[in-house]
Amino acid sequence: MSKAYFGLPEEVIFCKHCVISNQRPSSSVEFKHKHDEKKATIGFDDQGVCDACRYHETKEKQISWEKREQALIKLFDQHRRNDGGYDVIVPGSGGKDSAYTSHILKYKYGMNPLTVTWAPHKYTEIGWKNFENWIHVGGLDNMLFTPNGKLHRYLTQQAFLNLLHPFQPFIVGQRIIGPAMAAKFGVKLVMYGENQAEYGNNPDDNYVPTMDRKFFSVGDPEEMILGGKPVKEIISEGQFKINDFAPYIPPSADFLEGKGVEVHYLGYYLKWDPQECYYYAVENTGFQANSERTEGTYSKYSSIDDQIDMFHYFTTLIKFGIGRATYDAAQEIRNGKITREEGVHLVHKYDQEFPQKYFKEFLEYIDISEKQFFETVDRFRSPHLWAQVDGKWVLRHRVE
Amino acid sequence: MKKIVVLSYGLGNVRSVGNALRAIGANADVSHDEHSIMQADGLIIPGVGAFPHGMANLVESGLVGVIRKYIDSGRPVLGICLGMQLLFDKGTEFVPTDGLGLIAGSVDIIPVSPEMGRLPHIAWSTICPTEQGRQKMFAGLTDSEMRFYFVHSYAATGVRSDNISATVSYLGNNIVAAVQSGNVWGTQFHPEKSGPSGLYFLNNFISNC
Amino acid sequence: MRVIARLDVKNQFVIKGIHLEGLRKVGDPNQLAKAYYEAGIDEIVFIDAVASLYNRNNLFSVIQKASEEVFVPITIGGGLRSLSDVEQALDAGADKVALNTAAIREPGLIEKVAKQYGSQCVVASVQAKRTANGWEAYMETGRERTGVQVLDWVRRLQDLGAGELLLTSVDQEGTKSGFDVPLVQAVNNAVSIPVIVSGGYGQPKHIAELLEVTEPSGLCFASVLHYKTATVDELRQNIALARASGIK
Repeated sequence: MSKAYFGLPEEVIFCKHCVISNQRPSSSVEFKHKHDEKKATIGFDDQGVCDACRYHETKEKQISWEKREQALIKLFDQHRRNDGGYDVIVPGSGGKDSAYTSHILKYKYGMNPLTVTWAPHKYTEIGWKNFENWIHVGGLDNMLFTPNGKLHRYLTQQAFLNLLHPFQPFIVGQRIIGPAMAAKFGVKLVMYGENQAEYGNNPDDNYVPTMDRKFFSVGDPEEMILGGKPVKEIISEGQFKINDFAPYIPPSADFLEGKGVEVHYLGYYLKWDPQECYYYAVENTGFQANSERTEGTYSKYSSIDDQIDMFHYFTTLIKFGIGRATYDAAQEIRNGKITREEGVHLVHKYDQEFPQKYFKEFLEYIDISEKQFFETVDRFRSPHLWAQVDGKWVLRHRVE
Repeated sequence: MKKIVVLSYGLGNVRSVGNALRAIGANADVSHDEHSIMQADGLIIPGVGAFPHGMANLVESGLVGVIRKYIDSGRPVLGICLGMQLLFDKGTEFVPTDGLGLIAGSVDIIPVSPEMGRLPHIAWSTICPTEQGRQKMFAGLTDSEMRFYFVHSYAATGVRSDNISATVSYLGNNIVAAVQSGNVWGTQFHPEKSGPSGLYFLNNFISNC
Repeated sequence: MRVIARLDVKNQFVIKGIHLEGLRKVGDPNQLAKAYYEAGIDEIVFIDAVASLYNRNNLFSVIQKASEEVFVPITIGGGLRSLSDVEQALDAGADKVALNTAAIREPGLIEKVAKQYGSQCVVASVQAKRTANGWEAYMETGRERTGVQVLDWVRRLQDLGAGELLLTSVDQEGTKSGFDVPLVQAVNNAVSIPVIVSGGYGQPKHIAELLEVTEPSGLCFASVLHYKTATVDELRQNIALARASGIK
């Protein structure tokens, strides 16, 4: 029997309600992420239904959204400022989720948000346009932070080669910037959009409005692991100093607590529907869907601002056997936008599509050859997921 | 309840016609069976498609004789669109083809040059009824209600004025919109697709049956 | 100018999106069709939004019911792939069939259908997306590029025997920010068959802006009707006003 990589479940099963498989990984604590990390994955109950679907049922039937909104208003009343100072930090890119979050906070709930953006690796044209519209049309203040490209690219390259996880540097920075900026500006409230728990991280996270301390407990920065390598090892190579790593070092949970910084998820307080966020963003912040379908999925409006993003999903397909269409379809099935049958068709049709459009740019960005790209990719194909048939890699299982 | 047969000959939106008839309370049957046809209070010949094709189907299914026999019985017949066009002597769509020859005239392309406008003539247009038209076919409709749905590129020409019940204007052409010859009515427009006015017109036909 | 309602249907719901994406359920297809008929609409177009994905046609029962209650022309589109599909659609009660993906894949199908059932029954559906030097045709509900230039394609469709064109602007669709006027003008000038324009209407001035430049044979409305922003009568009035102000 083949041995599953990353400690993934040996048997592959698909949710009976949506299309996600039990291989879907939960979010890692990235700065501890080593290549031999055993992945926690989404839970399935004994009826073959995944945690995210079960949580969705709860969302629909058991949560009192009026009460939750009241709690939100109370939270805002505690923090709201009318003296010109910012009272909430909204991290985001101007995509549908942050557009919705920031705009509704300002224009419905009367808060004074500062939006902060951890720059994408490489902006797409539509991404930049939407970012600008977010500010100019949506009417919001923004700080755009772009980390040192040399280090960022190096970390992306290493993350790709060692972990097949090129998006790691982005994820690390994005998680830090909200709280970090809050601390710097003396703002106590950070409001993210949706909680990844909705999609299958630990479901208990759904019942807590704030973010886990484990993402902010780093100890000695030189012991941090980025790109699968300890920071001190990277420094010893000579190209970078510890100062360069500042954007990737999270403020400690104690420091944040000391400053009174609280991190919340709007998805805890308001019933989250990504498609409705899309509508809201189109109607209020000049958001435009892409003119063409994103490779690997059927959707045109989800996560379209980073050229590297496609490779995030592609590497997810390689490591876990599920691609972007699976993620998009699973969410839309739960929210009642499409039926499972349609989701299955969409997955079959688009999930394994190779992101050709920015392939060249990606290779250049991380400075590797096409040969090296495919050699690296193939090393991460777990035998319990992939088989070679007539010289081609084929997934052993697909959702039906 | 009047029993109307909608002729089925492979070309024609029989379902729509049947539905419209039912909506105004007639008993509508779609059929090509001689016996059923001969029992009907009224016969409707629908038609969507090309002239030669329509004639070929009628001939092949042996319906030409049946239609003639029915008309000879003096009971009302309504030809719609292609169904009306087939009543004439001949048609020039694709290839010159003989029609049923029940009303004098020929079916030719509407003379419209590209600079003037477009074909097919697809439009809701207000028709101009003749005296004859006002008496029976369009009785009870006000001028503004005489708005019907047209979709065709060919129209009847060389029709005797005493057979014309209504005309419609399109890009400077006066097109035959409706004809009548004894118990045979014909409309270039689609009454089953012309909303309330069309249903009203069909009711006029049924009342005649 | 004909006033037409467009109903995109999925799983027995009428849906409405923006840029053909993000699909909200807005109502029952038969109920909406009947309501629009009673309000005096000229024609109804039903588009099956998932047929091309499933390789199966889903709207026939909707059409059947619609043809019993709605006595204006009914067009059906979405996933019609063969002569046999067309036959089924017409049998079910459709007056016209709209073909897009099938025509791109097999242009000869347009010719076959026109020969068999007549040009008046064939609506060639074109989804146009702006490019650097013109417009490109898309298929599969706006998801797939074709590499085909719209202006060349519409001429070809006319030659093949299409009776009408249903022209949708992917850029403007669902945005309520106006029609793609240059697109309509270019296509209207390129062919001599009727052109129906779909995609982008939001306010009365959009009609005036369009008519100042070119006049299509019909306008197709979706968002504005489904979200009840305007009634059929209001739309007719807007068109009449635009034309009365001496516009082309």
